[in-house]
Amino acid sequence: MNLNTSILQYIEDVKSGTFTTEEFVTETLQRIKDVDEKVHAYLSLNDSAINDAKLIDKKIASGEKVGQCYGFPISIKDNICITGTKTTCASKILENFVAPYTATVVNRLQDEDAVITGKTNLDEFAMGLTTEFSAFGATKNPWNLDYVPGGSSGGSAASVAANECLASLGSDTGGSVRNPASFCSVVGLKPTYGLISRYGLISYANSIEQIGPMTKTVKDSAFLLNVIAGQDANDDTTIDNKNSNYLENIENGIEGKKIGIIKEMTTSDGLSSEVSNSTKEAIHDFESLGASCDEVSLPTIPYTVAAYYTITSTEAGSNLARYDNIRYGYEMESEGYEYNSYISKSRTKFGPEVTRRIILGGFVPSAGHAGKYFLKALKVKSKLISEINSSFKKFDYLIAPTAPVQPFKSGEKIDDPVTLMLLDYNTVTANLTGKPAISIPYRVSNGLPIGMQIMANTLEEKSLFQAAYALETKTKLPEVPL
Amino acid sequence: MVDEEEIIRVAKLMKIDLEDHSEHVGRVKKMLEYFDILDQIDLSSEEITSQEKSLAELRKDEFIPHDKKLIESLKNFREHYVRAPKMN
Repeated sequence: MNLNTSILQYIEDVKSGTFTTEEFVTETLQRIKDVDEKVHAYLSLNDSAINDAKLIDKKIASGEKVGQCYGFPISIKDNICITGTKTTCASKILENFVAPYTATVVNRLQDEDAVITGKTNLDEFAMGLTTEFSAFGATKNPWNLDYVPGGSSGGSAASVAANECLASLGSDTGGSVRNPASFCSVVGLKPTYGLISRYGLISYANSIEQIGPMTKTVKDSAFLLNVIAGQDANDDTTIDNKNSNYLENIENGIEGKKIGIIKEMTTSDGLSSEVSNSTKEAIHDFESLGASCDEVSLPTIPYTVAAYYTITSTEAGSNLARYDNIRYGYEMESEGYEYNSYISKSRTKFGPEVTRRIILGGFVPSAGHAGKYFLKALKVKSKLISEINSSFKKFDYLIAPTAPVQPFKSGEKIDDPVTLMLLDYNTVTANLTGKPAISIPYRVSNGLPIGMQIMANTLEEKSLFQAAYALETKTKLPEVPL
Repeated sequence: MVDEEEIIRVAKLMKIDLEDHSEHVGRVKKMLEYFDILDQIDLSSEEITSQEKSLAELRKDEFIPHDKKLIESLKNFREHYVRAPKMN
């Protein structure tokens, strides 16, 4: 059985009886058993996946109404809650936390008969870009196990790339879906802020983060967005998408469309020559598809990484204050501790990156420093929004490589905080402005993937998918060598 | 220049015990030094903007019963109360 298939092809095959849901899910679980010891994409598996698949097969056999997912196997990042299952955020502080409720996105998937394979690895509390900051061991890149898969949704990206599921849900605060999608050669979407409910996503920086689909194809991404997007009474930041069908007209092409090539992202110091060359080829491909490409400058971009880290650390400092180990958490004897010292001691279970972000989150908005850091960061955000809105008056899309570099070796950059931060250089703009952005697998050079990023205006996901699909038709990539 | 003492003081306020984490201070300092780039951009004419929603647009603030006794999933409770370490 070919596990390297798309969701849409899978659904056709199940409908036509080529295989049953149970057969495909069983084979997927066997694949996980075979390769996940090396990849370490999963933190936990769904013990009832095969039973779930059997129930869907029964529905199909009896002619009962079947949800549009037809039992395709999907993994979920382990910062998204599912009732009765562990949700660890890859943190020792939540090692045994069992969620008492289910995230809206998971409810919507289950209502449409998707089968959850398990929960995937991430940088602790989604803070990181390599998945090396997981408290339960790093995930490896399926393209080369010596290399990082990107992050923070590295487990989700690796699980899709290694054929350990057909799709995954990640979360993207500053590039955490798109960066690992680029590093693992899968499609990763960060939708317009508010398009997907965050109810049940454990908050890190809730003013800018979004859940996003990670898939093998652009059409699968559109399909998955159809299932999970839309207003949710449990998340007041969600917006009405008028039941858009994102697959509709996806093959319309981009003839006559105007594309802005973001100068600051395509000429930055940190851009590798392989990534730069691929970007030039992508521009050529867009032109051959009938679009016109021109350079556009967004002068605020060089300040966005600092603004992003200032804002996200501030929100993280506040959001993570709830982890006091009093109502839930791990066993720690309280005898001999005063209230505050107990909390401080229990919080030593946070890993190093989370600890640093919490400290930063106390520092940058504090009375003596907010003017220098936090308030400036908010102004940078406003300035960037004005610039990008002006750009979208002239252009339909803005493009740049998703990451300035290809995947690098595990451990290579873990001790250099500034270099790690700058990996977000091309992705944080979409988060700070709330615009949708997608990473498309574009090249594999020296055995390692390169992704291209396309950004569109607010709620222009349909148009975004058209451009992404058009570019996808221009690529012919090798299969993952695992 | 960021003062290390101040970082340690802020860490304490954030309930982060730095006794065994002194190596974090240098790294936090490096990140803060990078944030100095924010001094180089002219923001004099910029206003902070935010998205606002009227109260009428928010969901009703009403009690929705949970199907389980959530308190029983807490690690330390007595009757209807969460047990916590004593306060000075």
